[in-house]
Amino acid sequence: MKQLSWRRASVALAVILVVVLLPLAVTSTYYRNILIVGLLYAVVASSWDLTLGYAGVFNFAQVATFGIGAYATGILALRGVPPIIAMLLAVMLGVAFNGLVAIPVLRLRGVYVALLTFGAAQLVGSVALGWTSVTGGSTGLVLVPDLVVGQFDFNFSPVAYVYLSEGLLVVTLAFLHWLVRSPFGLSLLAGRDAEDYAASRGVPLGRQRVLALAIGAVFAAASGAVFAMYLSSASPTIFGFSTATLVLSMVLVGGAGTVYGPAMAAVILTVLQNTRQVAGLGPVTFMIIAVLIVLVLRFLPGGLWDFTKRGSRGRRQVAVGR
Amino acid sequence: MQILLSILIAALVSGSLYALVAAGLSLVWGTLGVFNFAQGALLMIGAYVAYYFGGKALGRSGLLFGLPTGLIMLGLLGVVLYFLLVRPFVGSPTGELSVIIATLAASTFLENGAQQFFGATFRKLPPVLTGHLSISGNSVDWQQVIIIVVAPVILLGLAAFLKYTKTGFAVRAVAQNEQSALLLGIPVSRIYMFVFFVASLLAALAGILFGGQFFVTPSMGGDLMLQAFIVVVFGGLGSLTGTVMAAYIVGLITAASNYYIGLFWTPAVLFAFLFIAVIVRPSGLVASNK
Repeated sequence: MKQLSWRRASVALAVILVVVLLPLAVTSTYYRNILIVGLLYAVVASSWDLTLGYAGVFNFAQVATFGIGAYATGILALRGVPPIIAMLLAVMLGVAFNGLVAIPVLRLRGVYVALLTFGAAQLVGSVALGWTSVTGGSTGLVLVPDLVVGQFDFNFSPVAYVYLSEGLLVVTLAFLHWLVRSPFGLSLLAGRDAEDYAASRGVPLGRQRVLALAIGAVFAAASGAVFAMYLSSASPTIFGFSTATLVLSMVLVGGAGTVYGPAMAAVILTVLQNTRQVAGLGPVTFMIIAVLIVLVLRFLPGGLWDFTKRGSRGRRQVAVGR
Repeated sequence: MQILLSILIAALVSGSLYALVAAGLSLVWGTLGVFNFAQGALLMIGAYVAYYFGGKALGRSGLLFGLPTGLIMLGLLGVVLYFLLVRPFVGSPTGELSVIIATLAASTFLENGAQQFFGATFRKLPPVLTGHLSISGNSVDWQQVIIIVVAPVILLGLAAFLKYTKTGFAVRAVAQNEQSALLLGIPVSRIYMFVFFVASLLAALAGILFGGQFFVTPSMGGDLMLQAFIVVVFGGLGSLTGTVMAAYIVGLITAASNYYIGLFWTPAVLFAFLFIAVIVRPSGLVASNK
């Protein structure tokens, strides 16, 4: 017991040290940019894990929710809504979108859920491309006003967005860590692994799944909101097939059903993808990512997180959608 | 009258293309119980193969060579995908999601590969037949007529094949009960391969017909694929009849919405339609047994 609390304290201390020192250690603008993008993707990937990994809901609208967060923030801020309020409204919109998608999703199962959420994501993308007067069409949104809190302008400080995205990631991970161990999280696992039994024991599967979608949406949309504020823009490529595949690869390579795995993989893959050698490859980057996804599915179904943990603790293996 | 006729023709053209793509998805689902997200990418590769193996250099006569080459090469590519991405996962507890993700990855691979090696430029395949005829004042391309005629003929042929031939019996037996089929000595694994071959061939045919009427681009599979998703959710996977019926209904809605509501709103209209259809009839038009 004492050992455990020592362990906890040292983990907490390490996390605080990394969070505080990392932005100061990464001084190049180029790498700072990659770091921020990686951290924001980490939020999307780890919260996607809640539906895809834990609840076993084949949800393919997570990246679209991220995009909604970004676009809604940008559109509202451009129309004079204070950035903070715009971000909050964007999160609400992301949750509402998932709530709407949940209505048909609850009546479907397995691959039909994948098809429907995929379709919903494509629909959002086509609206972003087509509704030019509001979304800027294929150009996207530009010149989104800065995020200003009190007198402090986030876009003028070199480290502010690193701290902001780090903070968002830490909150996301801490919340998900608690959530998946709570009775709610366990009921999601029960619904995924033994649907009929869980239902017969009184788990309200429909409600739990809607909640999982909504909670996942909060973090994805929040990440999108910060993303738009940081870049002062939003581009319709967010809704593209490639972005979705990239974030999906983060979840799988890191390990679905582990919370931390997808976050870790998000940072690693973003850094790799943006190193000068890889970035010059263009479409080939995504071909490599596709091959990586298949290799991980085939030979490392638990993902990297599971791989690093194997043997160290006898933890229960939680693989994709089982 | 003229307007209705042109909407009807547009509906039949898109319905036929959707039917070809969705029938492949439905056949694979009915037999293997997995969903192939790479169907749209296969369609696109089929069009490019036909383009490079004939259409490009030789014009319309080149299509005589390009079309069969495209179909056969894509059938074989389907078999390769089956061995690489489907076979390892079928039957495992996480198989359903693994195959979705693996074929999604294949789709990304093929689409970006096409972008890299063929470029993003719009290409055009020669139509199977050029020229047009006029029906009560409406001008209809012969290519459109070909699409409208070929798709139902091929799909009826497929249905007849499944119903009356020995291999067709075997496919249906595997679809109904894989274990008993195995006990009866049906080579289940070869049937799976065969089904993937046929489904990819159908996709390639849709791609080549589409490319002769519209354009060939690396992302051409995406839109057709999305329509095919709506078709299979609406029609119910695994039932060929339901899928084909749904394809023409979705084609009609697309054409009518394009005309009356506008091109931009069509995806939203289709999705709203699907949304309601799923709530009213979650198991699809024709409920399947899987």
